[in-house]
Amino acid sequence: MAATPKPELRRSVTPWGSFSWGYSDVGADIFIGLGLVLAAAAGATNVAFLFAGVVYVCIGLAYTELAATYPVAGGGQYFVLRGLGDIFGFIAGWAVLLDFTIDITLFAWTAIDYLSQLIPVLVASAHPWTHFLVTLACIIGLCALNVVGVRESTAFQGFVSALDVTSETCILFFGFLFAFRPDLLIHTMRVDWPSPSNLMLGTSLAIISFVGLESISQAAQETQRPASIIPRTSVALILTILIYALAYSNLALGFVPWHPILDPSGHPVHFWQMFPASYPGGTDNQGKAVALLAAQVPYFGALAAFYVPVLGAVLLMISSNSGVFGSSRIAYAMSSSNLLPSIFQRVHPRYRTPAISILAFCGLAALELIFAAMPSLDPNAISIYARFFHGESGLDFLADLYAFGAATSYSFVFIALIALRLKDPLSPRKFKIPFNVPMRFRGERVEFPIVGVLGFIGIFSILMFTLQTHPLGRIFGPSWLVLGIVLYFIYRGRKKLPILHSQRRDWRKAQAEILRNAGELELMDEYVANVKASDERRAKAGFS
Amino acid sequence: MIAYRAFLAGITAIVGTIVTVRTLAYGIRIETLPGIVLGGAMIGLGVHRLSLIVRARRSAP
Repeated sequence: MAATPKPELRRSVTPWGSFSWGYSDVGADIFIGLGLVLAAAAGATNVAFLFAGVVYVCIGLAYTELAATYPVAGGGQYFVLRGLGDIFGFIAGWAVLLDFTIDITLFAWTAIDYLSQLIPVLVASAHPWTHFLVTLACIIGLCALNVVGVRESTAFQGFVSALDVTSETCILFFGFLFAFRPDLLIHTMRVDWPSPSNLMLGTSLAIISFVGLESISQAAQETQRPASIIPRTSVALILTILIYALAYSNLALGFVPWHPILDPSGHPVHFWQMFPASYPGGTDNQGKAVALLAAQVPYFGALAAFYVPVLGAVLLMISSNSGVFGSSRIAYAMSSSNLLPSIFQRVHPRYRTPAISILAFCGLAALELIFAAMPSLDPNAISIYARFFHGESGLDFLADLYAFGAATSYSFVFIALIALRLKDPLSPRKFKIPFNVPMRFRGERVEFPIVGVLGFIGIFSILMFTLQTHPLGRIFGPSWLVLGIVLYFIYRGRKKLPILHSQRRDWRKAQAEILRNAGELELMDEYVANVKASDERRAKAGFS
Repeated sequence: MIAYRAFLAGITAIVGTIVTVRTLAYGIRIETLPGIVLGGAMIGLGVHRLSLIVRARRSAP
């Protein structure tokens, strides 16, 4: 009897699909990030976004190069595993898993905040269970959608991404044309400049607006001709997101609303002043900043007030969906590399999706939802949270952990980028980060990436800002990593695999196979020729 | 699809021009820097996309 081939993930993601996976994840971040950063960084919101944006460009370029060179499911954790070894690969993957599960909860939760602009009962304080139950129902629905398959959700994401790009461009067009006052921007930056601590907090929250490039590399194993498509889609994505984030933050600070905004005592306030916790309802406003801004754009706001909350909610739900997709794929990849138990590698025989991973991480997301929502559901929980968790809850808790997970995994990715440039110079790189220093390393000509070092310094400083300014992130972030490392030791010990060292792997054979499976046959031939030439050179030079 | 992309690219370049011109009216200083960077980036992206579209149209059979 012939052996049945092992089911694998199918390649059904097209160029636009690849862009929309990333866009729907990163593009939705501004819907959450804008309000949070305005509340923290006040008059320096645009500076916080600029700093985080520069770091994000470096991250984006690093991911583009690595995902095009190593087009496998797993993204950041695979690059770190390959560049730095098993234990660091696990830590990076575990940090990304934290981010993706929070992504599921945070975005589903905020989607309901946006919808509440049209249906206020969804977040009415008299019925706190409504918000919780609707969010939980969304998570369960996304779980089912992902078990059924990627093709359906990719087509849906493509449509909504196109709609959102058009909508955001129109909001910015009308906003800058009719409601932007540069003198107000300058005044706000001078008068409302935050304290250093708040600027650090704002910058660490601004990085939240740029999380999601992982999705493109996550989809690499399911993208057609990844080495050619990923650089194209990533560069377009990086520029689009950067411009939107900078544009929204500048517009918000120099924005003259269509209709005056009055505080409860009847005094007019600037747009950005609606977001700090000190403003009545400010915390609620943080979750729907883009909808509030769009509704106040002259002329276009009359239309935007109705559809932007719906579009925002849909985009946030798609981003939540990216979290389900990403967490299941990364667990699949970690399991393939013996970093997680093989159960996460099991693919559904009919739908060919990693169903067990999807169920497991949606379950974890539901637990995070319960923890974040508990203070609003049970009045007795408020005192416990105030005592043990610095009074933080809900959005704060999720945002803290989100920033910590992103900054940790990105820091490792930069180190892996540098390590792979040195250890694996033979793999053809169809896209290479600019500004490199040519040098020799172990007998091979390599190019040292200056941008990689600058990016690492930037993201590491954001990680430090996160630990300094987020009370819950400081406790739960490192705790999550410690829990993961303990589980990793137990799993590797039981499987009799090296615990602190890496498993022996034939990376040359693996790389040729990766390129062949990706359909990049020219690159595979180039790689094989590079390896052969290198071996001959080394034999002549007497290298072992 | 090309018309849609050209529309978006054109709008991006126009918004970039508006931001740059209106910000530059207040001179070049620290506070106007983010606006100038943003405007320049939008003009650059819009023009780049338009040039790609024009090139694709010219090379089409």
